[in-house]
Amino acid sequence: MNKPLRIGMVCPYGWDVPGGVQMHIRELAEHFIEQGHYVSVIAPVSDEETITDSWLVNAGRPVPIPFNGSVARVLFGPIAASRVRQWIAQGDFDVLHMHEPGIPSISLLACWAAEGAMVGTFHASTPKMRAISSVGPLIEPMIEKLSARIAVSEMAQATLNNLYGTEAVVIPNGIDYARFNLAGVGRVKEIDTPLRIGFLGRFEETRKGLPLLLEALPKILKALPALELVIAGPGDPEKVLSKIDSQVAKHITFLGRLSEPEKVEFFSAIDLYIAPNTGGESFGIILAEAMASGTPVLASDIQAFVDLLSQGASGVNFVSEDSNDLAKRVIELLRDSARLHQLSENGLLSAIRFDWGSVASQIMSVYEVAMTGQGKVAVGSENASYKKGRP
Amino acid sequence: MTLVLVAFVVILFGWYLSFSASRLDRLHHRVETSWEHLDALLQRRAALALEISHQTDLDPATDLILTQSAYVSREEAISNRNDAERSLSQSLKFLRESADSGELSIFLPLLSELTTLTEKITLAVAIHLEAVNSVAKLRSRPIYRLFHLAGKAKLPKIYSFEEDSL
Repeated sequence: MNKPLRIGMVCPYGWDVPGGVQMHIRELAEHFIEQGHYVSVIAPVSDEETITDSWLVNAGRPVPIPFNGSVARVLFGPIAASRVRQWIAQGDFDVLHMHEPGIPSISLLACWAAEGAMVGTFHASTPKMRAISSVGPLIEPMIEKLSARIAVSEMAQATLNNLYGTEAVVIPNGIDYARFNLAGVGRVKEIDTPLRIGFLGRFEETRKGLPLLLEALPKILKALPALELVIAGPGDPEKVLSKIDSQVAKHITFLGRLSEPEKVEFFSAIDLYIAPNTGGESFGIILAEAMASGTPVLASDIQAFVDLLSQGASGVNFVSEDSNDLAKRVIELLRDSARLHQLSENGLLSAIRFDWGSVASQIMSVYEVAMTGQGKVAVGSENASYKKGRP
Repeated sequence: MTLVLVAFVVILFGWYLSFSASRLDRLHHRVETSWEHLDALLQRRAALALEISHQTDLDPATDLILTQSAYVSREEAISNRNDAERSLSQSLKFLRESADSGELSIFLPLLSELTTLTEKITLAVAIHLEAVNSVAKLRSRPIYRLFHLAGKAKLPKIYSFEEDSL
């Protein structure tokens, strides 16, 4: 129905390291390509050899810069800037989609260089960027050049509002609903079979909350002695096991890092997904995936998760960082198969809104708004002097 | 006779303790002064970074990293600005490399000031770390631990920015 567009997407972080933003861009790009659009993604790349996608353009080697406690691989500088300009000039794009343009990397450079239909997506919720008053005037004009802004969650929206005082449309991150949904409706087990609860993530990172779950585990085992905890994700199991009682450790299985198909199997094998994260999340894509697979979700009551679980309608929240409450909720839920069944159904229904089919078409609508009255994206002329007029 | 001997040993031991304590105190003092010197240089580096940002035709991404980390570096206590100092080291290193290879032109006096300052900081970090390590080594000895010779003085900390190559 729509005429095929030429879409340019900019990824600020190193393409060959796993991350939520990279995953989002890849799936969105693949979705649009499947629909017949032309998509080109430009991203920093550390190791050219690992790149297999024909639609990916290498912008140069990223530099590790510490941000908010973790290290981001970003790319900046005169060479990167000229590569981005060149990519824009040659791309003949109808619309440019910048991801995380507030981060000092090539998305910001693209914002600076381009003129025309531009859309920006803001992923992170930064607690409070320090010294923003000093750098705000520097980024604000760039952010203003975006014809439309997307925030992936209410939290990301609030951050955007705080930092730059601008509004954004909230469009969630996408998942491949059909892939997870195959695993299944109505697979809630009877209470007399062994119960499995699951955790997925880089479990050595404290903010992912595994220590909290391990603190709650002995209490849970007292009430449900047959319970099994399945932990998936990259990390060293020994570091976890050495800290806990061997009687408790018997109930834990480590799966290591999972491929996407293995992730689907993981969700279908567990009876309850636990997300004990203590903070630092702005969306929680994994919860959406669990819901899409019909797995009931118990998550901490951090803002992003409360929003994602529709204030408790499609999942249960426990008091964040409270292992007693966590244990209590797990026991309560696993003893109530009717409730589990209900949660499974609600989750399945609720997660439909995260399907790429719906998410990508919302993003396309934003593109259309951005393109109204605009020609092709071009390289701007005022570039070299973005600072002129600054005090 | 024995009494005299015992008294002598006690006095000798007391003297040794006091000698050890003042030795440690001297080292602690050295850590403080070497840190003050390093901190002053870091403050100068932050100020220089801001000046370079104002006078150079930078891309906004580089400028953002530079300005933001420089501001944090000037406003915060060291416990909160390790990340900022690391970003500043990384971005200034990048600037110097870009200037050396001719991709970027930086006002020459600023560039040479940056080079000199970086050398000074490298040296100051080495001197400071040496003092910090001597304190840690001394304080790990049994006699220092047993008699609490360090008193309430905190064990000086090594920040990760001090371990980056500049």
